[in-house]
Amino acid sequence: MTLAKTLALLSPELVLLAGGLGILLLDMIWKDDEGKKDWLPYLTLVGLGGALAAVIVVWRGLGGGVSALATMLDVDALAMFICLMAVLVAALVVVFSVEFVRGKTPYRGEFYAFLLFAALGIALMAAATNLVLIYISVELLSVTSYVLTGYLRGDAKSNEAAIKYFLYGAIVSAAMLYGMSLFYGITGTTDLRGIAEFFSDPASMSELHWVVFAAMVLLFAGLGFKIAAVPFHQWAPDAYEGAPTPVTAFLSVGPKAAGFAVLLRVLIIGLPQFEADWTALLAAISIVTMTLGNVVAIVQKNIKRMIAYSSIAQAGYILIGLACLGADNYGLQGVLLYLLVYLFANLGLFAVVIAFSNATGSDEIEDYAGLMRRSPWLAAGMVVFFLSLVGIPPTAGFFGKVLIFASAIRTQSYLLAAIGVLNGVISLYYYFNVVRQGFFLPPKEAAPIPAAPELRVALLVCMAVVLGIGVFPQPFIQLAQGVARLLAI
Amino acid sequence: MFMFNLLWLIPLFPFTAFVLIVLGANPNKKLSHSLAIGGIGLSWILGWLTFFTAVFTPHFGEHPVRLTFDWFPTGNTWFETGVMIDPLTAIMLFMVPFVCLMIFIYSVGYMGYGTEHVDPRYSRFFAYISLFATGMLGLILADNLLLLFIFWEIMGLCSYLLIGFWFEKKYPDPRQITPKQAGLKAFITTRIGDVIMLLGMLFLYSRVGNLTFEHIFSHETLHMLAEAQVTLPLVGTLPVATVIAILIFGGAVGKSAQFPLHVWLPDAMEGPTPVSALIHAATMVSAGVYLVARMFPLFAAVEHGPQVGVVAFIGAFTALFASTIAVAQNDIKKVLAYSTISQLGYMIAALGIGAYVAGAFHLITHSFFKALLFLGSGSVIIGCHHEQDMMHMGGLRQKMPITFWTFVAGAFALSGFPLITAGFWSKDEILAHAWEGFMHEGVVSWPFYVWLLLTIAAFLTAFYTGRQISLTFLGQPRSHHAEHAHETPHSMTVPLMLLAFFALTLGFAGIPEEIIGHGRNWFHHFVGHEFAATPLSVPVMLLSAVLAVSGLFFGWLVYGRKPLAKGQPDPLVKALGPVHTVLKNKYYFDELYQATVVRGAIGLAELFFKFDNRWVIDPLVNAVGRGGAALASGLYRFFDLPVIDGAVNLAGKVGVALSVALFHFVDMPIIDSAVNLVGRTGAALSAAWDWIDLHIVDGLVNFSGWFTERVGRAFRLIQTGRVQNYALVVVAALILLVAVYLLR
Repeated sequence: MTLAKTLALLSPELVLLAGGLGILLLDMIWKDDEGKKDWLPYLTLVGLGGALAAVIVVWRGLGGGVSALATMLDVDALAMFICLMAVLVAALVVVFSVEFVRGKTPYRGEFYAFLLFAALGIALMAAATNLVLIYISVELLSVTSYVLTGYLRGDAKSNEAAIKYFLYGAIVSAAMLYGMSLFYGITGTTDLRGIAEFFSDPASMSELHWVVFAAMVLLFAGLGFKIAAVPFHQWAPDAYEGAPTPVTAFLSVGPKAAGFAVLLRVLIIGLPQFEADWTALLAAISIVTMTLGNVVAIVQKNIKRMIAYSSIAQAGYILIGLACLGADNYGLQGVLLYLLVYLFANLGLFAVVIAFSNATGSDEIEDYAGLMRRSPWLAAGMVVFFLSLVGIPPTAGFFGKVLIFASAIRTQSYLLAAIGVLNGVISLYYYFNVVRQGFFLPPKEAAPIPAAPELRVALLVCMAVVLGIGVFPQPFIQLAQGVARLLAI
Repeated sequence: MFMFNLLWLIPLFPFTAFVLIVLGANPNKKLSHSLAIGGIGLSWILGWLTFFTAVFTPHFGEHPVRLTFDWFPTGNTWFETGVMIDPLTAIMLFMVPFVCLMIFIYSVGYMGYGTEHVDPRYSRFFAYISLFATGMLGLILADNLLLLFIFWEIMGLCSYLLIGFWFEKKYPDPRQITPKQAGLKAFITTRIGDVIMLLGMLFLYSRVGNLTFEHIFSHETLHMLAEAQVTLPLVGTLPVATVIAILIFGGAVGKSAQFPLHVWLPDAMEGPTPVSALIHAATMVSAGVYLVARMFPLFAAVEHGPQVGVVAFIGAFTALFASTIAVAQNDIKKVLAYSTISQLGYMIAALGIGAYVAGAFHLITHSFFKALLFLGSGSVIIGCHHEQDMMHMGGLRQKMPITFWTFVAGAFALSGFPLITAGFWSKDEILAHAWEGFMHEGVVSWPFYVWLLLTIAAFLTAFYTGRQISLTFLGQPRSHHAEHAHETPHSMTVPLMLLAFFALTLGFAGIPEEIIGHGRNWFHHFVGHEFAATPLSVPVMLLSAVLAVSGLFFGWLVYGRKPLAKGQPDPLVKALGPVHTVLKNKYYFDELYQATVVRGAIGLAELFFKFDNRWVIDPLVNAVGRGGAALASGLYRFFDLPVIDGAVNLAGKVGVALSVALFHFVDMPIIDSAVNLVGRTGAALSAAWDWIDLHIVDGLVNFSGWFTERVGRAFRLIQTGRVQNYALVVVAALILLVAVYLLR
């Protein structure tokens, strides 16, 4: 492969990198000019637009095939799908941040640069097929996330959240690295395909089975941390609550998507021979994750903590799809569609939360009383996003859940499906508790809640997508099918 | 052909209006009604353009246009959905948006825009009627039964919202039905039909695996459905097509207010009058007839099957039954309500005996003149300051000339006044078709009864129409309100005049070929090219002309020649005696349903409730209480003690700390909650009799919610906020996971 072609295939990542560096540079040049710095978020959006264009061009150029770069990266539909999501997440978070960050920190430029680097981390994680690159890209995403979490230096909660997040991340990262080293020790390679090749010899497989499982569990610690699956979830509520809210929005979606992408690659490309083992592991984790997330969410009083637990539970639903891959591919399609749908619903919800907290300075659920009278648009958006998170038509979440539960039923994992549905019912309870506050209780203050124009646009886009996929799911399901076909075992 | 690509936009315009009014425009009344009228106006323009494109497309009937896309996955296939236009849809597109537009414009005046009587929920009204129009337009364009059903239900919802629009209204007489009750009644009654229809759809889908009309009506599918037999308990063996047709007909019986589900429609008059017009003419009730017309190939799949008799008999019986009730009503809108039921009976009967074209024709003409009559009566009501009793009217001819003349046009069309009204031609075609079937098959055939019942009903229709005109407009005012009546604003009278034009002229589209020459019966040519034309029958035509004229004449003779004086009773009361009382009370159907269905349902519910409360809930509560306690002690003894031991060995003092933490934060809350649970169980037991008023579902839901919340609190305690503890959990979890694997 020529250098030019290689660079072309890496163009989305390169654009993100260049964008981040460019923002850093401009931030330095415009050091003393706050007026000019107001342009930085929009320039970031321009950079993300460039990345989006690059993703589309590369994706079309692939023509359904895979371009492997050395033994490091697979540029394929999955990588492009997750990269697209990274760009969308980053763009929406930039939009959320414009008003939020203004005046709260003197280092605005770096904030946007870090967002771009985090997006770059996600894009690399999605494409990496080598344990070393996986580790490095996970760390790239982690470190940028730590910094973003602690971005409000004057805010003790933000600092506390960052240090907890960092310590927790360091521990699981060590565990993951240990797992990777075990794999290297067993197989003598860090390339996922090489690992799969090694295990394709039945003799080597039976002999080392027990080490492989230990390595798998250790590896999962790092990825479970990224997707916030129980028991590697405990950082999430604290970090979500303390982080600047746009960063919380990012954490709830970006790392999760990337974590699932890596899981898909490692398990499907690297460890197909151990499917029975990781299926059992993931099924158990999935049950615990959704149940704990939903049950604990009920008693939360802070909406960011509630969303933290809800997003833990959502990871549990998605794990069902991974645990029930099945022959007809519903599981993979479900995982991909669910991630996409979850992105818009959760970020839309954060648009509401951010608009509310910008206006009132509060994140307490009880302060949402009478939201409908204070801002009908925010209230309407909230209902749409909650409906989608529960999975009630005509919202996008319905089709995510349909595919996920269909995969469980197709593989005869009725227990998983039943627990998933029960959990859906539980989640309805605490989501609609907020809706009850917003619609049926009298407002504490009568003042209407203003929302910045950027936030309004983001809210409308998210609502339109959530309802759009809910009413016309066909192109999106086909998109997920196309990506899933490539990965099918 | 380009026009057909825009079909899907037609229902979208009023829907956009609905969304905009609800979300933003509602504080501004003028903007709200402008949006609503603008939305339906665009639909009307596009609808008529589409209609005329269809008309001028050669051989349109053989090549319906479909625009479809894959909607959602069903197993390994996709459920297709989309819009479709064939001649039936085309003529509906001629009627629905236009009549809706007239009603929307009229509503501006009726709801009192610009006066001090303006309705407090003015904007909401326009939002609802826009959604209503969306439902009907979507329904006629749907290319599959599921989509049709979705829009069908949207209309059901809107009818509920609009009939109960003045939900705060109460009457001094507790027996008089309030708008709130009327809305509920309409919703529930039509829902009975909807459920039956849904069963039919499910049965159809289970047999065919597809709900698109094109697929259902393909020759092979119809043949398969007609050949396949199904054995039902009590009924016997029937062709599948027959069973599905009858079940789907159930939906039409509810929506089109056919006997025995007709009871909701007269009470629907509690809604604002434009809503009555909307329900009775353009949308709701037409939807039922449209459904039968749409599913006509399925109804015709089994020749001479029982479905023919069911449909024809219910239609014809309803036509006569409702027209007798209409004779004895004094409320100007109630008369029209029963006349609607009766006219719908004509259409259903026509479709039952296979007169597809005649049924569709009458559907269109009726929509125009019935909308006109309702809007006219609304104009009378506004003019008379909300007086609805015809006994308190009279002499409005001079005071409200435009309303009078347009009302007469509509009324003559309704009674089938010969030659110059639309109703004459469409009704005559139904009668002629029945007559032809009777001649063909003799007196033991359905067409004979249909013809007989409909002919009697035709006379009664003309009679009560004559009565209504005489009582309302002729003679002298019989009340203070009628004396001070005034003509209504232009926003109301202009729609009346436009509708009157069509009520008179529309019939010329379907004059039998024997009169105007071969190939000139445009309506038949366009809609029913595959059906043989109904031959002209001169005796039938003469008879119906004579009946119409004589009915009107008798009506005038009794009520118009010597107008009633103030307070004078209806001459019919004396003439008919107890029969009149029965008619006035609508054959006591409301009372019958109240005593049987409503009382029965409530009684059954109470019975179940008592049964469940004594036999299910209490033992359940006990069992959960004991189970919780056992679980807690079991967990403590068999799970936590070994875990604590292991932790101590594993991590020394840290392990001890962990175990203490586990004990404090996990076990204590669980034991606590178990104790609380047992305590509450006792309380619940002692209070069991108080629970009789509680609903079973409520109780269960509250209980599980409470229980779940408790568990949630217990779990939250693990989240200490100390990162050291988190790290312990990670390490413990890793060891546990590996251990579980190694020891399995």
